[in-house]
Amino acid sequence: MRDRPTAADLLDIAREVLQQKILPALPAALRYDGLMIVNALANAQREIERGAAPLGAELARLAKLLGEALSAPEADRLTEDLTRLNRRFAAEIRAGRFDGDAAAAEHLLTTALDAVRESNPKYLSDREL
Amino acid sequence: MTGVGLSAEAIRAPLEAFIARESGARSVCIAALTRLGGGAVQENWRLDAVIDGEAVALVMRTSSATEGVEESLSRADEFALLRAARSAGVTVPEPLWLCTERSVIGRPFHVMRLAPGVSAGHRLVKDPRVGDALAGRLGRELARIHAIRPPRSDLAFLRAPSPTPVQQAIARMRRWLDGHRVPDPALEWALRWLERNEPPCPTLTLVHGDFRTGNYLVADGELTAILDWEFSAWGDPREDIGWFCARCWRFGAVGREAGGIGSRAAFYRGYEAESGCAIAPESIAYWEVMAHVRWAYIALQQGERHLSGADRSLELALTARIVPELRLESLLLIRAIEHGGAHA
Repeated sequence: MRDRPTAADLLDIAREVLQQKILPALPAALRYDGLMIVNALANAQREIERGAAPLGAELARLAKLLGEALSAPEADRLTEDLTRLNRRFAAEIRAGRFDGDAAAAEHLLTTALDAVRESNPKYLSDREL
Repeated sequence: MTGVGLSAEAIRAPLEAFIARESGARSVCIAALTRLGGGAVQENWRLDAVIDGEAVALVMRTSSATEGVEESLSRADEFALLRAARSAGVTVPEPLWLCTERSVIGRPFHVMRLAPGVSAGHRLVKDPRVGDALAGRLGRELARIHAIRPPRSDLAFLRAPSPTPVQQAIARMRRWLDGHRVPDPALEWALRWLERNEPPCPTLTLVHGDFRTGNYLVADGELTAILDWEFSAWGDPREDIGWFCARCWRFGAVGREAGGIGSRAAFYRGYEAESGCAIAPESIAYWEVMAHVRWAYIALQQGERHLSGADRSLELALTARIVPELRLESLLLIRAIEHGGAHA
């Protein structure tokens, strides 16, 4: 077990200092860079806070969709398994084997929504999703 | 001179000599050379020159040292396009001189007259002087671009899409995805949908290829120039209409469906008045799906430029972080079309 503050705590306070103290003091020429760093830190923080849970859920849905039995998912194999199954899924979509498949469409939408919750949650609230 | 960015001091004298030769002027003095922002693929320099005693503001455009985006045109081709567009009545910067020799500044370049104004999308969508009048004007301009049709000996470098614009675009994107580190089922889903729903291709026209807010200049609410012709091709004119209206190019002003600056109706009216052709709204929804997929594909490539180390940049890294919302938007648009053609 790790001590607190966690990585997410650190990113959170680092971003607060950047926004409240550094950004107002930056010359205009560097303001855009400052805003990009705020954005990058917020992105990283959300990704860390959400952890591996969304990926585990994606893998479980994907396995069901493709009719693949997964041994108990292991954290260190998550990315590897996801890449392998998504590669197969992508190839089958291209080959037309999922044409008009409502379950596949639903899975893709759920996965896409989950990713935007990390990359840009404001997009979802603006779009009222 | 080609390895990294150009240096103002190194190119000043050769440019002065080049302009004197091309214009026939007796004296040319470049008082200031300033690298302009924007253009990840091109380098644009502002030249404040005095030619035979007269002050002239010019832009020199050349390729940057690192080119990462495929399918973009050379400076010579771009120069020919500017001339063709200008003769067709399209508002573009006046093209002045082209240099294809590398002996002058180390790279090919062309020089245009500077057009005044602002291009930044996030600023334009907040400008109170910008609205339906500009949207209508851009519709008319686009119709003039689409009036340029093959065959054209001056535009012989533009190749005909094979076998169709849609199939060529899909094949190109799939080829790239095949070499990408990770699979992308959402983009594959959208590409498959685009393949299955390909509309019949109308008469081919010139397609600008990047006609959107951010790529034209506006001064005091008036259009002063349409820029960035490097992705032009013969194609389906509806591609430009879909690209312009796509939600991903509204810079947050999502309610103003014409590029975040005006209403879709005003933009369509301008286009229809100039072209004499009616736009079928449902035919544009297809091209808005294509727009999101294509932008996702370009954003992935931009991210790779950063990740590969070729062009390390926070901006490129964050561009790749837009991809999730582009995937989502493609899926939502497809669903809306399948469930009755609602517009996003």
